[in-house]
Amino acid sequence: MHFPLSISDISLWLAVTAIILLITSELLSSSTEYSRNLIIEKKRLRLIALALGVGFMITVIMRIF
Amino acid sequence: MSEEEHPTEARTEETTYEQPTITEAPVKQQTAEEQELNPKLKKISLTRTVAIGIAFLIPGILALGFAIRANSQVLAFIGLGLTLWGAVFLLITPVEYVKADLVTATAAPAYETIERILKDLKPKGNGIYIPPYPKDAYLPEHLKGLKESVVFIPTATTTTATPSIEEIAQSKFLLQNPKGICITSPGLGLLTQFEKEIRTGLTRIGLEELCETLPQLILENFQLAKEIDMSQEKDQVRIRIADSIYMSLYRKPNQKSIQTLGCPLISAIAGAIAITTGKPVTIQALNANIDAETIEVTYRILEG
Repeated sequence: MHFPLSISDISLWLAVTAIILLITSELLSSSTEYSRNLIIEKKRLRLIALALGVGFMITVIMRIF
Repeated sequence: MSEEEHPTEARTEETTYEQPTITEAPVKQQTAEEQELNPKLKKISLTRTVAIGIAFLIPGILALGFAIRANSQVLAFIGLGLTLWGAVFLLITPVEYVKADLVTATAAPAYETIERILKDLKPKGNGIYIPPYPKDAYLPEHLKGLKESVVFIPTATTTTATPSIEEIAQSKFLLQNPKGICITSPGLGLLTQFEKEIRTGLTRIGLEELCETLPQLILENFQLAKEIDMSQEKDQVRIRIADSIYMSLYRKPNQKSIQTLGCPLISAIAGAIAITTGKPVTIQALNANIDAETIEVTYRILEG
């Protein structure tokens, strides 16, 4: 019984999710006129996106070394 | 504002204030039922977001568990996706957001109180925002009052003279030289928030930098307005605000408190300019256009 995903799988998943969240957070912060009606913690969303991006970078480094 | 209320004979040559003009529109008041309903709506909205988060999170964790048990790659991807989105939903849920109408409604009574005071004392000119001493500066106990952000409203003659340090330090309400009153700035709460966000501190930035930072802060971080243009010209700072959340405060006709001090946002900006320049600041002209939902303010930096 082991985790079925390899480092490459997790890396790919992190990359895709990070891109989706980073684009979303960028769109939300750039268009204040529309995003002011969206009541969410935009800073936290950006932090999550950045954290996933960093996670992806870590997996890449793990694969290299 | 009519001439009967402010006879021209009463104005001296020292007068530099343009009387603020407010284009009137029907007063839109929030009913008591609406006010009661708002917290309930907030609670329902929050509970729904949390419920969505949990609805994603639980199947996600279960899917991950089954994926390990069944050694299924597809199930693992589904589990990871659901868990992530569940966590995202829970984390981005706003805790401190309230409806803009409520913010204005809570500010209104303070202005009503100031209105009563001003009606009795008959102010001669707009409020002068006195720069406070930095919070981290050491001051003896008897001068601690100098750290408070206050507004001086002259009541005897139209003057731009500021009260003495001793009188401000004593945290007096009625001042004698020059005659007037000293009150806490209505925008103090907002100003404190601005200071928290500008981590370098308002005293450490220049006026030009403030003109760039403050609009961004008000629009993006606090979302108090839809559009802001702020520019500096010699001893004047001009600002044009569109769709401010405090617009409803200007709807009440002939309200002297608003004309003298500005809404909390205008007041906080005046306070910020005073802190940055270290000089007293007054609202020279204030034009609120209710139909266009815009406020145009000219601040004057006085020689302190």
